[in-house]
Amino acid sequence: MSGQSGEKRAGEKGAGERRADSYAGRRVVVTGMGAVTPLGVGHELNWKRMVKGESGVAPITRFDASTFDVRIAGAVEPLPRVPEDDDFEELGIHSRFALTAAREAWADSGLADANTPPERIGVFVGSGKGILHIQRLVEGMKAALIKRGVATRDFDYPAFLKRAAETLSGPRRREERYHQAGTHVARAVGAAGPNWVCITACAAGNHALGEAWWSIRRGDADVIVAGGTHSQLDSMSVSGYSTLGALSERNDEPERASRPFDRKRNGFVLGEGSGMLVLEELEHAQARGARIYAELVGYGNTADAHRVTDPHPEGVGAEGAMRHALRSAVLEPPDIDYINAHGTSTHQNDFGEAQAIERIFGPRGEAPPVSSVKSMIGHLIAAAGAVEAIACVHALQDGVLPPTINYENPDPECALDFVPNESRQVPIEYAMNNSFGFGGQNIVTIFKRWDG
Amino acid sequence: MRRRVVVTGLGAVSPNGIGTEEFWKATLAGESGIAPIEAFPTDGFEVRCAGEVTGFRAQDYVKNRKSLKIMGRNIRFGVAAARIAVEAAGLAEAPPAEQRFGVVMGSGIVPTDVEEVGAAVLESLDDERNFDLKRFGKSGQKLLHPLWLLKHLPNMVAAHISIQHGARGPNNTIVTACSASTQAIGEAARVIERGDADVMIAGGSDSRIDPLSLVAYTLLGAVTTADRPAAELSRPFARDRDGFVLGEGGACMILEDEAHAKARGATIYAELAGYGSSFDAEGVTRPSMDGAHAARSMTLALKDAGMSPSQIDYVSAHGTSTVLNDLMETNAIKLALGDDARRVPLSSIKSMIGHLIGAAGAMEAVASVLAIRDNAVPPTINLHEADPECDLDYVPNEAREMKVGAVLTSNFGFGGQNAALVIREYEG
Repeated sequence: MSGQSGEKRAGEKGAGERRADSYAGRRVVVTGMGAVTPLGVGHELNWKRMVKGESGVAPITRFDASTFDVRIAGAVEPLPRVPEDDDFEELGIHSRFALTAAREAWADSGLADANTPPERIGVFVGSGKGILHIQRLVEGMKAALIKRGVATRDFDYPAFLKRAAETLSGPRRREERYHQAGTHVARAVGAAGPNWVCITACAAGNHALGEAWWSIRRGDADVIVAGGTHSQLDSMSVSGYSTLGALSERNDEPERASRPFDRKRNGFVLGEGSGMLVLEELEHAQARGARIYAELVGYGNTADAHRVTDPHPEGVGAEGAMRHALRSAVLEPPDIDYINAHGTSTHQNDFGEAQAIERIFGPRGEAPPVSSVKSMIGHLIAAAGAVEAIACVHALQDGVLPPTINYENPDPECALDFVPNESRQVPIEYAMNNSFGFGGQNIVTIFKRWDG
Repeated sequence: MRRRVVVTGLGAVSPNGIGTEEFWKATLAGESGIAPIEAFPTDGFEVRCAGEVTGFRAQDYVKNRKSLKIMGRNIRFGVAAARIAVEAAGLAEAPPAEQRFGVVMGSGIVPTDVEEVGAAVLESLDDERNFDLKRFGKSGQKLLHPLWLLKHLPNMVAAHISIQHGARGPNNTIVTACSASTQAIGEAARVIERGDADVMIAGGSDSRIDPLSLVAYTLLGAVTTADRPAAELSRPFARDRDGFVLGEGGACMILEDEAHAKARGATIYAELAGYGSSFDAEGVTRPSMDGAHAARSMTLALKDAGMSPSQIDYVSAHGTSTVLNDLMETNAIKLALGDDARRVPLSSIKSMIGHLIGAAGAMEAVASVLAIRDNAVPPTINLHEADPECDLDYVPNEAREMKVGAVLTSNFGFGGQNAALVIREYEG
């Protein structure tokens, strides 16, 4: 379908013109950030380590993975503690990450001392399937699996019920709900405005930022704490991704396993963590004298509608999302100075993404530099896009591009400038942040340097 | 000028009827879809009845049979409801420009299927029947279907729907529990309003009628364990209500830019005029009983629609049949509608189909549109003696024929997320 892009583009331009003036009045800026990643807790610390090209990938210690095909991951160790630990019997790991990042971002923004009405403060979180507690499930199930067969009719329900009460108790169940992180964050910052949790897989964190941008521009809120949180570092999930063939099995060299765009890439490394940004309406931020990090100026969203197992091979959906974001920002491709790639280190994603970038921005030399911080922290799934947005904001502020580490073997099919192995000093004005979800949801945001 | 959003197609797969008209006919007739559970033996369970969708054939709605393998029950309901809605809207013959055609679905936790993981679990038990992670890693996990994870990613409902209909525009999945699909419809309308799409498939699907979920909900104490005939278990606003009944199903609507719908000569059922959402910061496990936060979502939806309470003819209630919700909701409606609360009839279709969680709001929105189309509002069945503190007009037991020009429909999530929609008769 990609061949007819000329005609399609013409059709889409009309929509872009309509869009450009629809909510033109309100602008959205970033006034606070918080990050929890395999490189540590704190957005400044994360940025320092990314600029140095450090890796947070290591052997899995959270569970005994010794017999697994995949034994490495980007884990957050030790797990951060939060005040909610005193109130909740067992806080979900993704809730813990979200609360830590959101509290950091909230403190960073200085909004605690502002008198913004709670009704004007929203929370948009990208989240995902939480920890699958297989041992607990098994405790309930094993008593029931008494017969040879495993069909439902062979399941001994009374035996199961006896054990289930011990294994599926209330608080634990509650934490497994996808939207629980949104609930916790809203309570932590005192937000009573729009509250929304999406689960568009690897695109969710960036998706929350894009929708929050619209919501503030529309006037539904003045401040939105937006981002993503995720932890799937459990035996079932690692097994699930592994049997899908999506994970790198470079177990002997954990720090070198995530190698986006490298010819010898062989899958992504599962990471975990959270990124949260405080997005604020410009005049609201200026009126309270807030420090402004950057402006969020564009957002695009498309679906591949291809297959649930694979992204579109030529990145048609990814291309559409980047073009959509450019239109919404009223920008042309040459305006973009840096692309923070989705760059997962799987063969398919990186190929499709590089192709899509080339179709829009031209070949190496014309296209802006592209890098993937997943080379350092792994793939944080629902949190990835938000942490990467934080990297974009720092890149704009400092005029430094984070590197793609482990880039050793150029892939002739991915022939762009990937900022290999070392960060680069170069002043930039616009940074594009790509996130493409498993299942085909493509999200792109664009940030602009704030010059005051 | 804000782009107006209209409804041009509906789809329902409900415990009391598969197909939009089947669902609506049963609902107006006060027919309950709640019955003893057939999916698995419930001996020993405290809860033995639910709003199960029976006689559903997923293959009737999915062209590529192979993809059924990676569609869990919740996905199948969503895909079926979307297909019914797309066909009703006449989009099957005349699909919109693919990047102007999107999907937003509400979804919930995907239950773990005992059959699916049973073999792997058995293989991973050591000699003393303890789970051994080493064995799981070595041989147990090999017995899982290689694509099993895909059935468990809740964004797959919207992903499958986008593939089935070539919808390459904005795609989203919202998971805010009981208000997820209400938010999905509201957010989809915003996508059209701001110009990012012309046509959106919006709704929700959910299925939790499985042993693990049933136990979990029973432990939570939210589901009724009363000893009554199945059809009488869900009794919103009744004095003797004591919990909700789990339901399952899928519901979708086609939302469309008004000009786009007119240009293609589509049948316009109604206008989606307003959407509001709010968060109840006190209510993580129980709602704030004064209903102030819930009321705020309704007030915001009215404001968004540019309407006053006096213009609302019917309220489609969340009405779960729990003691707390129904009382809180009564208070919230009084706050949001003021003096008009006494005048406006409200009812809960959960009395007939149970609580569809991630699909509840969408099913209620579909019913709201049909109430406008047919000038008839569905009843709250099993309401013979109302709670004295629930003192509004709940349309007890019998549907009512009346002029329905505008409906307010709202849902309140377990976790504190509240959402409300205003749907009104379309006037060109």
